[in-house]
Amino acid sequence: MRKVFLALLLLAALAVPAFAQDETLPDFIEHTACEVDLTGETVTVYHFGDISGSYAFITQPLLAGLSDAIAYYNARGGVCGATLASDNRDTGGDLAQTQAHYDYYSTLEDEPDLIVLYASGDAELLSSQMAEDEIPGLISAGSVAGLYGEDGATPGWIYASNPLYSDQIGSFCRYVGANADQFPDPVVGYISWPGAFGEAAYTDETVSYCAAQGVTVLETPEYFPPTATDITTNVQNLVDAGANILYTNSLASGPALVAATVALLGLDDDVQVAGVNWALDTSVGLLGRSSLGSDGLPAVNGLVGSLPFYWWTETDQPGIGLIREQAAANERALSMQNIAYLLGWGLVDTYVELYAVAVNEVGSLDAVDGAVMKGVIENLSYSPLGLYSFDYNGGETRALPGNRIARMLFLNADGTGPATSGEDAMTVPLADGTTAYIPILVPLTEFEPAPDLRPGGADVPAGS
Amino acid sequence: MATITRTFNNNRRSITTGLYVVAVVLALIWLLPLIGGQRPYRLVQSTITGLLVGGIYALIALGIVVINKASGVFNFAHGWMMLLGGLIFYSFFTSSAAGTVSPAAAVALSLLTMIMVITTNGWRQLMQPRSLAILVIGTAVFSGALLITGANLQFVQALLGAALGGVLTGLVVERFTIRPLIGQPLFAMVLMTLALSELLHGITQLIWGSVEIPLQVFTGVAQLGIPSPIRIDGGETLAGTIIIRTELLIAFILALLAFGGFVAFFRYTSAGLSMRATAENQKLAQSVGLRVRTILAVAWAIAALLAAVAGVLQGGATSLSLNMPLLALRAFPAVLLGGLESIGGALVGGLVIGLVQEWANLLFPGSQAGTELAPYVVLMIVLAIRPDGLFGQKRIERI
Repeated sequence: MRKVFLALLLLAALAVPAFAQDETLPDFIEHTACEVDLTGETVTVYHFGDISGSYAFITQPLLAGLSDAIAYYNARGGVCGATLASDNRDTGGDLAQTQAHYDYYSTLEDEPDLIVLYASGDAELLSSQMAEDEIPGLISAGSVAGLYGEDGATPGWIYASNPLYSDQIGSFCRYVGANADQFPDPVVGYISWPGAFGEAAYTDETVSYCAAQGVTVLETPEYFPPTATDITTNVQNLVDAGANILYTNSLASGPALVAATVALLGLDDDVQVAGVNWALDTSVGLLGRSSLGSDGLPAVNGLVGSLPFYWWTETDQPGIGLIREQAAANERALSMQNIAYLLGWGLVDTYVELYAVAVNEVGSLDAVDGAVMKGVIENLSYSPLGLYSFDYNGGETRALPGNRIARMLFLNADGTGPATSGEDAMTVPLADGTTAYIPILVPLTEFEPAPDLRPGGADVPAGS
Repeated sequence: MATITRTFNNNRRSITTGLYVVAVVLALIWLLPLIGGQRPYRLVQSTITGLLVGGIYALIALGIVVINKASGVFNFAHGWMMLLGGLIFYSFFTSSAAGTVSPAAAVALSLLTMIMVITTNGWRQLMQPRSLAILVIGTAVFSGALLITGANLQFVQALLGAALGGVLTGLVVERFTIRPLIGQPLFAMVLMTLALSELLHGITQLIWGSVEIPLQVFTGVAQLGIPSPIRIDGGETLAGTIIIRTELLIAFILALLAFGGFVAFFRYTSAGLSMRATAENQKLAQSVGLRVRTILAVAWAIAALLAAVAGVLQGGATSLSLNMPLLALRAFPAVLLGGLESIGGALVGGLVIGLVQEWANLLFPGSQAGTELAPYVVLMIVLAIRPDGLFGQKRIERI
């Protein structure tokens, strides 16, 4: 009798996962129908990037997003029945570690069909190696050298889910040029971190494109290291040279420090701070909470930049609704509710679609390799959770063009709109005894293609 | 030809120095128009900012010099000790504010620190009744201080927690990594500090994670009635407003106080003199009855304490991140510039590096000369003229 009881218990335990997999994806997620059953197999998201260095504020939420999304999709059938898994490795921002991790992956007996990267520097280091090894990569970054090679004219095997950084500053200049009432006589001073990422947006093409939009970009970009204690001199250099807009291609503490310094110098009414898509992030709002501007709100209030994805507050977008619901269910803290968490979900959803298409094409998971995956990516027409839309023009381009301009503001006390001053703002007590203001992003434009400012790109002014 | 060679050999030092002087004069001739072209308030602003930032470098440099002065070791783990101190401060700062200081953590930290302090000269000390009494009383006092709840105690408790954490770190490092190497080549100790930096990297990442932490330690400054930042109207003479970041000014003042204290300590106290003697020759110092182990332990505790202070100040000025240890690399030129064993040299070196950095940023905008080039050029020139640094001891070895 006891044996029968135990056997029943065992059967019940085995049955639970099967029932759990009966959950289905919501209707708005429309993956390609699977023609091959992959039950019992595993699809691994191979990801390596800076998890513990300057990018940690961004990459930790990415890991959370990956983890939550993988659990969600696995509970709903995974990839055509195959289980999703992730293999995350930390480079600490050290290119030697990047190379070591890549060497590890690329020499695996079962070489990855696809790799996920996270930094422009990593992309630039590995671009030619990945092409040679025929391993495609997905990345949320966009330097010309990383995606199109040193000459800027050799599309590689790495595909970005956001516009090129040079195209993003182009979008910004186009917006500024079109809004002369808000930005009379615009002069942009470029201030950023040194290195592949920080310097990626300042190119001859962007300077001439901005000039064509009526926006002057100063020829003396300023760079400061992420460890900088003070950047007063750098900011004053640009302001003295005539800058009334400071554009930064940095993230987390970078934009926060620029905005704090502008406020420190009492220039917050005269100088607009702007930046790359990473500047419009929760991390910047949280790290900048202790430096207040003249309005009593964090100095980063009013920061303008690129927003090539849907954001947490756009709840009418079903993908955002799902991610918000899952972040709440997984008790993700405010600091986790940022760009990278969204991208983690988008990435996993993309994997499901990519592998469904690839396996349908070649008949089995074993037959999928880098070359097959490259073909699938280049012809992909898909919008992961509706967050952004894949379109690499049949393999002609390596970065997604869709972009819009948005402004970072802070929620008011009623939760009905942006705060107008520190007294009017909603604050949330944090575990460390301090309070945080709630950053919100308000789109200023609709989605539209960013200008193509690769060397020789379609929108590069003639003669530049 | 032979005459020229002989003349050069006989006057090599004078000629070399003369060439460097000419180079410096030419550089000044090149720089003066650039300086003259600047607005007066920018020159003053960059000078002040440079000195204030240099104060942080000097504080970091001081910790490195203290270790070097006592043991001859160049501590590559100093940056990580800084971050660790800052993070311990943060933990107590936040948990004290929330009234959630863990009794277990408070007792453990106090007890471990007291054990390490009492046993600096050997574990046998624990067997003595007097030592045991001190251990119990010390643990009770420190634990109590960390656990008392009350308004406005947040900062003091965090400071005490960081101080205990810093001393404990220094003593543990000395006891388990440096002490076993006493009498071994210095190079072994230096390599040990490199290994230690990796260990501390792992520990901080495991406990506090990788995400950058804003340390809002200076937000209370405004509540004390101190303006933040301090704005000084330059009037017609300077034609602009000078801005002084209060948190950097506090760091600078603390750095000056620390320097004053350590100069007096090394010059006028027997412990300080013993440290200097130990640095000269550990075996000889031991043979004349100096307690080398205790001296080294005290030096490491002081250095870790200084690192913690620098970590808190830098964390308050920016944030606590795994990048912070890289800042110690910027203090290395300051240490070498001032002279490896010179307390005053660390101060001057730190201030000079800060100043050079800001002036280079001002005079060569858009060139990254300030952070990437100028400090090292100055260091190179100074070391070429004075290989032991500005205030370093000149050593003569008998062959």
